[in-house]
Amino acid sequence: MQLKISEYLKPEAIMMEIKAKEKIAAINELVAHMVENNMVSDGDEFINALAKRENLESTGIGDGIAIPHARTNAVRDLILAFAQSPQGIDFSSIDGKPSHIIFLIASPESQKSEYIVALAKLSRLLRKPSVREMLRSAKDREEVMDIIRRNED
Amino acid sequence: MELKRFLLVLTSTDDQSILPAAVELCKAAGGKLFAMFVIEPDQVSRSAVLAGQDVNVLRDATEEEGWKLLYLVEDDAVENGVWTSLHLMEGDPLKLTMRHVETYQIDALLIKKKDESMGMFVSSSVPVIGL
Repeated sequence: MQLKISEYLKPEAIMMEIKAKEKIAAINELVAHMVENNMVSDGDEFINALAKRENLESTGIGDGIAIPHARTNAVRDLILAFAQSPQGIDFSSIDGKPSHIIFLIASPESQKSEYIVALAKLSRLLRKPSVREMLRSAKDREEVMDIIRRNED
Repeated sequence: MELKRFLLVLTSTDDQSILPAAVELCKAAGGKLFAMFVIEPDQVSRSAVLAGQDVNVLRDATEEEGWKLLYLVEDDAVENGVWTSLHLMEGDPLKLTMRHVETYQIDALLIKKKDESMGMFVSSSVPVIGL
């Protein structure tokens, strides 16, 4: 399936410095930002869907990366959001390290294939040390978008 | 012996067919599911030569397919209220499996029954359940 991360990540869904210091607060802050930008139809339902996953798994995939995600009809289409956390947030990562880069992915219940492909493509992209380092030190939204465009297939 | 911590081992020769059974088993046991996909560099190199493909392109494709399998099993697990942890590794499946068994105090392995998995049945220090 041809799917480009950069086509689903909108500049307005990028937060360069998230204030929250723990994962549920970080998710709440990201979702509030997405609600403000009309990307989410029901913020409470969205947070519940994300929290359900966080209770059943660690979305911290290691190396300073967390990818909270959910399939929920609180969103109208496949969406992505990005946040940088300079101080790092404990997402119960498998390597025990705090997460400095957070990508949030959500799709409606009906778009399971696109959702799985987006998660797989993003996870592969973020396994590249050079991409992680560039995203962590990116200064603005345009730089984040440019890093993803240049490094995805 | 109560089995509560299961390690599902997946490689590029596996497909989605064993995922529902793995989740069902964990759900029935009230257990936790650790899912690991292993990229085998030798296998990727051999396949690249046979297919006339660039080895790095094939490696990336293999990794992406691995993540898909992991997120598919996770999605199913969450739907069924089963706790999961996803791991994507590169190396020898047998060695990585044995290391994970120790690190995560695994009670039983879940693997697809196939010729290549015979080593797991022989070498594993914990019960192996063929799916």
